[in-house]
Parts: sequence; C-alpha cells; structure tokens
Amino acid sequence: MSSDVRFTDFKSDKQPTWCPGCGDFGTMNGMMKALANTGNSPDDTFVVAGIGCSGKIGTYMHSYALHGVHGRALPVGAGVKLANPDLEVMVAGGDGDGYSIGAGHFVHAVRRNVDMTYVVMDNRIYGLTKGQASPTSREDFETSTTPEGSKQSPVNPLALALASGASFIAQSFSSDAMRHTEIVQKAIEHDGFGFVNVFSPCVTFNDVDTYDYFRDSLVDLSEEEDYDPTDREQAKETILDADKEYMGVLYQDEDSVPYSERHGLDSDMSEIPDGAPEDAMDLVREFY
Amino acid sequence: MAEDLNWAIGGEAGDGIDSTGKIFAQALSRAGRHVFTSKDFASRIRGGYTAYKIRTSTENVQSVVDRLDLLVALTQRTIDENLDELHEDSVIIYDGERSWDAEIPEEMNAVDVPLKSLAEDAGGAIMANTVALGAACEIASFPIENLDESLEKRFGAKGEKIVENNKEAARLGRDHVQENYGEFDYELETTDNDYVLLNGDEAIGMGAIAAGCRFYSGYPITPATDVMEYLTGRIEQYGGTVVQAEDELSAINMALGAARAGARAMTATSGPGIDLMTETFGLVATSETPLVIADVMRSGPSTGMPTKQEQGDLNMALYGGHGEIPRFVVAPTNVAECFHKTVEAFNLAEKYQTPVFLVADLAMAVTEQTFAPVEFDMDDVEIDRGKVVDDESVDEWLDGQGRFRAHADTEDGISPRALPGTVDGAHMSTGLEHDELGRRTEDTDMRVRQVDKRERKVETAREREDWSPREFGAEDSDNLVISWGSNEGAMQEAIDFLEDDGIDVRFLSVPYIFPRPDLSEEIRSAENVIVVEENKQGQFADLLEHDALERVQRVNKYNGVRFKADELADDIKAALAGDAEVKA
Repeated sequence: MSSDVRFTDFKSDKQPTWCPGCGDFGTMNGMMKALANTGNSPDDTFVVAGIGCSGKIGTYMHSYALHGVHGRALPVGAGVKLANPDLEVMVAGGDGDGYSIGAGHFVHAVRRNVDMTYVVMDNRIYGLTKGQASPTSREDFETSTTPEGSKQSPVNPLALALASGASFIAQSFSSDAMRHTEIVQKAIEHDGFGFVNVFSPCVTFNDVDTYDYFRDSLVDLSEEEDYDPTDREQAKETILDADKEYMGVLYQDEDSVPYSERHGLDSDMSEIPDGAPEDAMDLVREFY
Repeated sequence: MAEDLNWAIGGEAGDGIDSTGKIFAQALSRAGRHVFTSKDFASRIRGGYTAYKIRTSTENVQSVVDRLDLLVALTQRTIDENLDELHEDSVIIYDGERSWDAEIPEEMNAVDVPLKSLAEDAGGAIMANTVALGAACEIASFPIENLDESLEKRFGAKGEKIVENNKEAARLGRDHVQENYGEFDYELETTDNDYVLLNGDEAIGMGAIAAGCRFYSGYPITPATDVMEYLTGRIEQYGGTVVQAEDELSAINMALGAARAGARAMTATSGPGIDLMTETFGLVATSETPLVIADVMRSGPSTGMPTKQEQGDLNMALYGGHGEIPRFVVAPTNVAECFHKTVEAFNLAEKYQTPVFLVADLAMAVTEQTFAPVEFDMDDVEIDRGKVVDDESVDEWLDGQGRFRAHADTEDGISPRALPGTVDGAHMSTGLEHDELGRRTEDTDMRVRQVDKRERKVETAREREDWSPREFGAEDSDNLVISWGSNEGAMQEAIDFLEDDGIDVRFLSVPYIFPRPDLSEEIRSAENVIVVEENKQGQFADLLEHDALERVQRVNKYNGVRFKADELADDIKAALAGDAEVKA
C-alpha cells in the first residue's frame, strides 16, 4: 500500500446518476476518504455493492469491485476477504438490500465477524423503483405501495446488529462529511465486521427523513462526555432508545477477533501450485 | 460375468448400519477384492429401515444386482424389504434372542446368532454388529484376520481396549457359526491387489483439493454434505477453508466472492439448494467469474425423496436462471470420474471464466467403490488458470486512459483476468450488461458484442477441448445405448448379461452435457437407439433427439432406486423387442 494515495484515486471517471442532492454523494465521498486515510490503494481494495441506488457505488468508485445480485453483497464480501486477507473489503448497500432481501445475510455476516466494512446507505425508502416503503420506513409513512403507511414497525438495524453479536456498530450522516469519514475510518480500522448505518437522505421520494430532520434530531455521541462505546449495556440502552437517533460509534468490542484469525486463515488462496499439491497422494492413501 | 457375493446388513437408522457396512467393505477391499456398495436409507436419524449393501468380487464390479446372498437382518423389515432379492441359497443372520419373531422363508438358510449376548461376553452389547460381521466371515469363508485392520481403523481412536473387544466380538460370532452350523457354499478369496475404497462425494472433494480449490462454501444437504465433510479438516492443510453458509444463496455468493479474489472456489448442493443458487447463475456468467457448482442430484421435485436416486436436474443445470446464460455442464459417470471431472471443471471454469456445473447423482455420491490407487494419479493433475495477467502483462490490456479491460472483446471470447492486488488491474464487474471496462451500458452495439463474446467462449471451448463420450461394448453393433451419469456401471455389466443372451450393443456413456459430443451420426446409423436415464421425462433423450433430429427409444426409471445391471439388461431387451417406452 502506498502512502501517497489520495481519496480522488478511488473515484472513477463515471459521473453518478444519483439525483442532485442525494445523500449517497456524501456517503461515497466519506468512504473514499476513509479508504485513503487508512492507507489503502484502489489495487488492494475490493468494493462489493448490492442493488438499488446505493448499488451503483461500485461504478463511481475506482477499485476492484463487484456489483452483485440484490441482497447478497455481504456473502460476496466475506468470500473475497477470506480468500485474500490482504485485500481491504468494503461492502455497500441500501436499507432494502441489507435489511429486507438481505436481512438473513446481515444477521450471519454480523456474527461471522469477517474483517470488513459494511456501509448501509439508509434513506428509509426504495428510491430506484420510485418510492415504495423500505424496512426502515416509519410505520405511518405513506408511499405508493403503502398509501396508509406500512402499519409495521420499522427494523432497528443497530438493535438487529447488537442482537446478532456485532463487534462494531456505528451510525453516521452523509451530510456531516467530517464525522461520517471519521466513523467509516473507525469501522475500517476495527478488527472484525465494521457496521455503519448511514443516514443518506433521498431528496426525491422521502419528505420525512430529510436533511433537516437528521440535522435537527441526531445526537452526536462524540459530544456526550460519559458515553463509552465499549460498554455493551450502555450501547444497548442507547440503541433501544425510541425517542432519539444517534450518530457515532455506538458499540465496539475492543477484544474482537475476526473470523480469519479464529480460523487460522492468513494466506492468499489465489496462489496455488501448478499441479496437485506435492503430498496429494496421501489423500488417496487415506482410502486404503 | 463376475463371480460375486452380495452381502447386506439392515436394521433401523441409528443401529450403526452404515459404519458396520463400511467396516466390512473396507475389510474386503483390503483383502484385495473389488467392492461396490449401495445404501437403502431414509431421511431420518432413528427408526425406519436402512441397509448397507455390498457386492464383492475378485473381478471389477460396477453395479448392484438383483440378488442378495448373505443378509444380516437386525429387524424383520430388513428381511421383508429384501424378499425379492433373496433366494434359496441365501443365508440370513439374525438374533433369535431379540424380541421380534423372525419370519424367514423356509427355503432359506436361517443362522441364529445371539448377537447381543455374545457382544456382552466380549465387553458390551454395543458390539452386536461386530459379532454379526464375525459370523458373516465364517459363512463366507473369509479369513477373520482381514476384519482386524478395518476394526483398528474404525475404533483406533477410541483406544486399544475397544479395538481388542471388537476383535473378540467378531471371533465369538465366527465361533458360534462354526460350532452350530455346517459349511456354506460361499467363499471369498483374497488377492494381493491394493485397492482404495471411496464414494463419489469424497472423490469430488479430493479432486477439488488436487485441482487447487481452496475455498468451499456450502449449506448442508443430502446427498452433497459428504463433499463438505470430506473437505473440512483436509482443505485447511493446503491453506484453504470450508465455510458453512446460512443458506445456499449465501453459499454460492461467498464462493463467487472468493473466486473474484482469485481463489479456485466451489460450492456443492442438491436440488432444493440449486433452486436457490439459480439466482446467482447469471451473475457468475456475466461477471465472467470462474466457479464450480456441484449438484449432487436426488429425487425431486420439491423435497421429493431426499435420500433416493434420480437424474432429474439435467434441464435445471442446462437452463436454470433467467436470460441466456453461457455455461458448461459436466456429469461424471462413476466414482473415479467424480475426481477427474472435478479437476477438469476447475480448469474449464478458469480457462473460460464461466460457471461450470458438475452434475453428479446420489447413487454414485454415496456409493463406496474400489479402485486401483493409480486411478487417482496426482502426477496427472494439470492446472490451467487461463488468461491471468500479472503486474507487467496487465499493461497490454489497458485502454488509452490506463483502465483495465476486464471484459475485452477478444477473438476467442476470453478476456484477460486481473486478480485483485494486481497493480493497475482494478476494475469493476457486474450483473448488469457492461462495456469492456465492466461498467454498466445499455448501448445496443456493446450489448450485442458482450453477449456474443460470452457465447464465443463456449464455441472456443467446443473447438479446443475434448468432449468425447466414453465408449463400451461392440463398436459395430446396430444396437446403440446412450446414457449419462452413474448408469455407466450398471450398463457396462448389463452388456455382459446381454451378451449371454446373444445380444450385442454399443454403449456410449456421455460425461459432457454441454457442450456435448455430436452423436447424430451414431444415432442415425444405428438401427435401435435406446437412451437410458433415471428420470420420467427423458431429459437427455430429448436433447439427443433435438441434436440428431431422430426419435430414440427410452428406458427411464424414477422409483428412487438406481438401475441394477440384470434389471437394466432386461429393460434393454424389452426395448429391443419393440416396446418403445420402457418404464422401469
């Protein structure tokens, strides 16, 4: 990894087709800055993206990347990282990708604790399909498919992560560039699965969870003097607090041991001999 | 025809049927005898009926036959389930002291061995099955010393005492038969030949390690789980890993991720799992990711008969997934071929950056069969990773702005492959239609070029690789039998049965379903063409008719049980006699 990498090196020459003002611009910029700040280069970085507006991110960034099928970005990311631990793996998706169609994978990715970063661009709406309810939409939020509101409680992604045994849980806001970058950077530096739910407002289809709403309501935990993210009890209380929304690292297990370390995986699996392994006849002899 | 003995042990699931059967199979194999096993089992942990069957001969055996000579029956149901196969010289070992009243047809030889009591004498009732093995050795004139090594292999980890007790238990069984019964007509000769004994799932796993596969992700499912269990504990020794995924959707996507990172990666599943994986087939193909997907078929549709044989997924492997997906479909035809075709699958996947379906079936996946170790000569394993570029050669594939053309439109359709970490090779791949750089496009010209390029890889492979069928029987016969998958063994032996009746056949066993050999000439020139497969609809027969524009006769079996050689010979005879469709 070279030290002279700038965040713009992670930018492709493709112009984003996101709506002007979309939160995803800020989310992506923070990711690129965090990658550069942590000493990564595009040739050693692998970005996996899901489907939806968020899924386009792989096209707008420059790195090794795969834009997969809806909801399965996390398993792809785990495969990449376990096969080559030298790569920096960043998985990006939206609230639909991660908490609806991919919710099952989210739970298991969290408990598997592979050393990678998961950035969810949470706009509480399905944007690319033009405005249907998402799993994080408010119960009374009216959309084309839920004209009277979904009448279902929204998923609390942070609580879901905590219940699944997360080692790192954070939340950020795409428009607070400095804090967002800082938080993603911490997720990258975390030894294990670094999960960041990013409020990334949809200016076209969500008139409730807007920039103004988040700006006015978000409580930044870095400004709360007695907040200790390593305190799981405190994290639990904060995450389950229905009255407020928080920004910052909510929980971090400082003793987190990532999957590869637990399983003794440290080699680049792409390197294999030109023929069968030297002692491969031992495998045959086992069957005598 | 092979001078064979057909032995079985049957009882309830949980009676240790499988491990007892395997001990005996190993003893026979170590004594230089050929062994072919089959299993009757149900998808339950306890109860029901389960049996482990062994056909053994000093000559090669590749099929089961419809005859049972020596049966260890732990339940009445074991006898009842096998009445069709038992004959007047059959010997049935049972425990008269057990609670059930054994009803054994009078003409058969009933051998009452107090399995449980003798096991207790040797140190514990748990060894009752070992007592039965000792009794079986005596009845079959098979020196009991041959059993000792297998007992050591099976129980060695539990300590010397357990091994010794088991040896003693076997001897008590032997002595009981010696003392209470006369000689029987069976004799199992031993030879100096060395054989290894393994099943198809194990052969697939071993082939994967040999081929350099280092990443396996899967979700447990019968009958593919053995692949995963084989690799677990072994692949790690070569720097690899097995990941148990939360479902098959995850399993195939993890393997895809590992393959994108440059590892040789695979997943294996069966019908219900392949349904889920279908979602990702198209992504594997359009992102041009080398991936081996094994489908160890079982009886479907839906949950079907999970522990029963069927070859019903052929169309799924060929056509599964929306849109048009270039792919290879390779179907091994016996246990040893499971090894070779797995190695080949990895080479095809990487050379052509295309998904490869390795379609095996339950009958060979769980069948233990003997082979000379030379059949698995590791020195013969060749690895071809295809067009992988390095930090220098990557330059040849950069566009004017220094961007890597991961999906370059080349003459043979194959693009260069830069593994992550390659300097200047960073690129994007996607399930969206894309340009040469891997970036989304809806440009009509580029769309056509990329579709054509991906299909051209298959055409290139069609020209460059050998897709020949395996040929057996009388080359110039007017009777042509064509089959695929594990029917090969039964058909090879059926040829012998047919020969005895003065019927000669030419038999083509086809391991390549797509691309596949063009057999139209063979089909047109033969007088009778019979396609044998284990499904109802005749999926392979449909393909061959489509290729040759000729009708074929069909022999189909779909009751969940594999073809037996003698039964198959009868089916072929019936078909030749003019019965257009024979449903076994």
